[in-house]
Amino acid sequence: MMPIYWLLITAFKYGREAFAIPPKWFIFDFTLKNFIEALTTVKTPRFILNSVIITSGATLLSLILGVPAGYAIARSKSRLLNLSSYFFLLLLMVPPVAMLIPFYLIMRDVHLLGSYFAVILLDTVFDASFVVWMMRSYFADVPQEMEEAALVDGASHVGAFFKVALPLSTPGIVASALYVIIYSWNDFLFALMLTSPKTKTIPLGILASFSAVEIGWGRMAAMSIFAIIPAVIISLFLNKYFVRGLTMGATKG
Amino acid sequence: MKSLTLTFRRFFRDDGHYLLLLSPLLIFVVAVAIYPLFFSFRISLFDYRLTDPNQTQTFVGLKNYIRAFSDTVVIDSLKTTLVYVLGTVTLELALGLGLAMLLSAETQIARVLRSFLIMPMAIPPLVVGLVWKALYNADFGVIPFYMKAIGLNVGRGPLAELKLAMPAVILVDLWQWTPLLMVIFLAGLKSLPTEPYEAAVVDGASRWQSFWFITLPLLKPTALVALLLRTMQSFKVFDTIYATTAGGPGSVTTVLNFHIYTVGMTFFDMGYAAALANILLVVIAVLSVIYIMVLERQQL
Amino acid sequence: MRSKTLRMLLSLVLLAAFVAGIVGCAPATTEAPKTEEAKPAEVKPTEAKPAEEKPTEAPPAKPYEGVELTLASMTDQYVAAFRYLIPLFEEETGIKITMDELGYVDLYQKLTADFVGKTAQYDLMTVDIVWSGEYATNGYTLPLDDFMARDKEELQLDDIMPVAWTLGEYEGKHYAYPLAGYANVLNYRKDLLEAAGIKPPKTQEELLEAAKALTKDGQYGIALLGAKGSAVAQDYMAWVQQHGGSILDKDGKVAVNTPENVEILKFFGELFKYAPPGSTDYWWDQRETAFRDGMVAMMEGWSIARAGYENPEISKIVGKVDIEPAPVAEGMEPKYGFGGWGIGINASSDPEKQEAAWVFIKWLTSPEIQKEWIRHDGAPIRRSTLTDPDLNKEYPWFPKLLEAFEKGDGDYRPRIPEYSIIQDALGTYVNAYLVGQETAESALQKAQAQIEANIK
Repeated sequence: MMPIYWLLITAFKYGREAFAIPPKWFIFDFTLKNFIEALTTVKTPRFILNSVIITSGATLLSLILGVPAGYAIARSKSRLLNLSSYFFLLLLMVPPVAMLIPFYLIMRDVHLLGSYFAVILLDTVFDASFVVWMMRSYFADVPQEMEEAALVDGASHVGAFFKVALPLSTPGIVASALYVIIYSWNDFLFALMLTSPKTKTIPLGILASFSAVEIGWGRMAAMSIFAIIPAVIISLFLNKYFVRGLTMGATKG
Repeated sequence: MKSLTLTFRRFFRDDGHYLLLLSPLLIFVVAVAIYPLFFSFRISLFDYRLTDPNQTQTFVGLKNYIRAFSDTVVIDSLKTTLVYVLGTVTLELALGLGLAMLLSAETQIARVLRSFLIMPMAIPPLVVGLVWKALYNADFGVIPFYMKAIGLNVGRGPLAELKLAMPAVILVDLWQWTPLLMVIFLAGLKSLPTEPYEAAVVDGASRWQSFWFITLPLLKPTALVALLLRTMQSFKVFDTIYATTAGGPGSVTTVLNFHIYTVGMTFFDMGYAAALANILLVVIAVLSVIYIMVLERQQL
Repeated sequence: MRSKTLRMLLSLVLLAAFVAGIVGCAPATTEAPKTEEAKPAEVKPTEAKPAEEKPTEAPPAKPYEGVELTLASMTDQYVAAFRYLIPLFEEETGIKITMDELGYVDLYQKLTADFVGKTAQYDLMTVDIVWSGEYATNGYTLPLDDFMARDKEELQLDDIMPVAWTLGEYEGKHYAYPLAGYANVLNYRKDLLEAAGIKPPKTQEELLEAAKALTKDGQYGIALLGAKGSAVAQDYMAWVQQHGGSILDKDGKVAVNTPENVEILKFFGELFKYAPPGSTDYWWDQRETAFRDGMVAMMEGWSIARAGYENPEISKIVGKVDIEPAPVAEGMEPKYGFGGWGIGINASSDPEKQEAAWVFIKWLTSPEIQKEWIRHDGAPIRRSTLTDPDLNKEYPWFPKLLEAFEKGDGDYRPRIPEYSIIQDALGTYVNAYLVGQETAESALQKAQAQIEANIK
């Protein structure tokens, strides 16, 4: 927690006190200047909004695509489908730099460079592959009996997936979603190359305080605080889901 | 021929619905990712520099790969990468599991702590790196200040000492990513069946015994997935290194991915960078195959 | 009868069109011949054709009204001046400028991607002095020579410090216009030097002596950049320059491992003994912090940071600092490291945008606007700015800066396309020497080998 506290107080300090020795943990000249700067001179709210759009887009898309796929791989007895999962694994291993340059050129040619969509697409390649992997293992842990019962009751396979397997694997979905959110939220390299000034995300905004001459620590800290807030909200929200996942798990026994 | 059509027919009868669930992702990935992958493989066989005004691409065969294996920087950085991956992944796995066990209870405190603990993940790794660099600074950083206060010799500071730099960088990674493993393990713990524990209580097993003989084996699939994912992430570490040490002092913390980045995004020597990236890919893939073999055996 | 009216109508329409054409192009036709003459014969297709001529004193005061430009700016101090000045410019000309503020590394990468992909996301960009060779060789930015020849009267080119042209000139053409000139100066603490009875060092030998003498009681003599990467590479190159060494040999080939450079490296290492222990990990901002916190007595650095020492919000040494041009080795003809930023126009932008971008450059670098530029944390390029009486009152160190500019050397960091390769190798191996992983000889040997392996 210490580094976060340090970041927090740095956001309220004047530059001259940020690195005082001995460290000033509690008493220092308090200022809101950094926050005001973060909100006015640089477009922090806009960066946050862009980040939210890109993160939620990539998360939704990768869950929609990845969760059913993970289920299919976990349940199918076909060798071919099982093998296809390694393909997604392989994708996860590709160093991002190798993907980025060709993707940049494609996006240029289809005139999507600088759009939210471009970043979402590339994020989703990695995010969805991750989701497949996570969900595959969770679905494997969910007992099949209830689905089979549903099938006997006349539900289709797809129906059994939505009505039975999906609710039972909520904790897994939440965990994957959390990871995907974090990954997209923090993504720096893809956003750097694929966004325009209008679609710039918060990590890029924060990094702009990092100049050749100095780092605007106060402003950077203030912007980081803004960047963390959504994550805290999400984590509180997800906590609820952990509980729900637990109670669901209990009913199954 | 007949048997083949039969196989296909059976495949579609038994697994058609699964294919239906899988196909959206397959189509998406093929559409978006295949060309970049193909492109990256192709240019690894070319001498292709973005800084070349004419953008010529000369076919050089395997020359880029040969160059990589005669480049001492590459060999050294591969070793560094392995140390880094091993250090971060094992420690994070152990700590993540420990934290998950501690905080799995549904008490108010556990809930609050969990929310706090995932905060490091929400900070861009580059900012995390910068913050730690500031904290580690020998002259006005917080950590050396307290180290000096308890009588330790900090020398040039953790990030600038040849022997300390790697552990210092690993610690940053631990701080940021252990919570992720905690989350994964928490989810794993929640989906565990309750019966074995009830049985264990009946049999009079101690808490430690039920952890060792029930929880651990049941968590194995989760742990392997977590291990696999963290390993792959750790191999691709870049931001943290970039912001803290830039691969220094000297080249003690230059991991391969950092080197690839330098070649690709600073020198814009795309052919060579692609070749290096493919080498890294093969290294990760080989390790993953080992994991997967273990994983498969677990599940079958 | 019928055909006659038709013909009349037709000729009327034609006449009207003709008149409209003349009126519409009126300023252009009067301007055109001059421009045509000024244009060199060998115009490349990528160079701007002043398609819609810009009237110099024509009544439509806002000929580029509505043109939208995007500027990629480094987040150096001068970004504050951009933030202040851009709205004024928009007001005056109707040209809209969106500024994208980027850190050093992101700026370089983003621009390169933009140039290579010919995506023209940015029309205007700040160009580091060391990038000019690369940009020129690859034709990333527009050569400004036609514009400059056309508008030479209003530009007052003679007023721009000769050294400032290195901010964008390469092999006789201008690929970026001077924007912000930095001189490498020695900042020192008046109070500490006085107390120790030391005069501000004029030579490198005196500098070392002074650093030695001032290192005592938890104080250190000098703050240096030691962190692996561009930081240590650039600082070392500054010392090479101050000792009269060179990164390139007479034929322009990279030669970092000369015996001379090894000696300089040893001297550089010697200085680190009188720097704070953490110096081998210092990036620019830590070096600044060490100085502003009052931990060190002397620091060489870019002149643009100078104003910050008088800002009580970030500095504990207000009123205690003075500057001298950076000391050089004994017996050496004084030459001072010069750096900074130019501003360039994307070669792939529309001609109309290029024209509008040029209007912005002209406006920004005009003597009157330069005063405001300085007052909002910009850096000077003009002699008239550096000698302006008002500004000299506000910035009493300007005469020293003028001196450093007069004898400035903008080429101590080789402005060649391979610069980033040189910087990377030096960044690794000079740092390795400083932390004791290599000897001075082996460090430069390996740096040279790595550079040769990467340059083709």
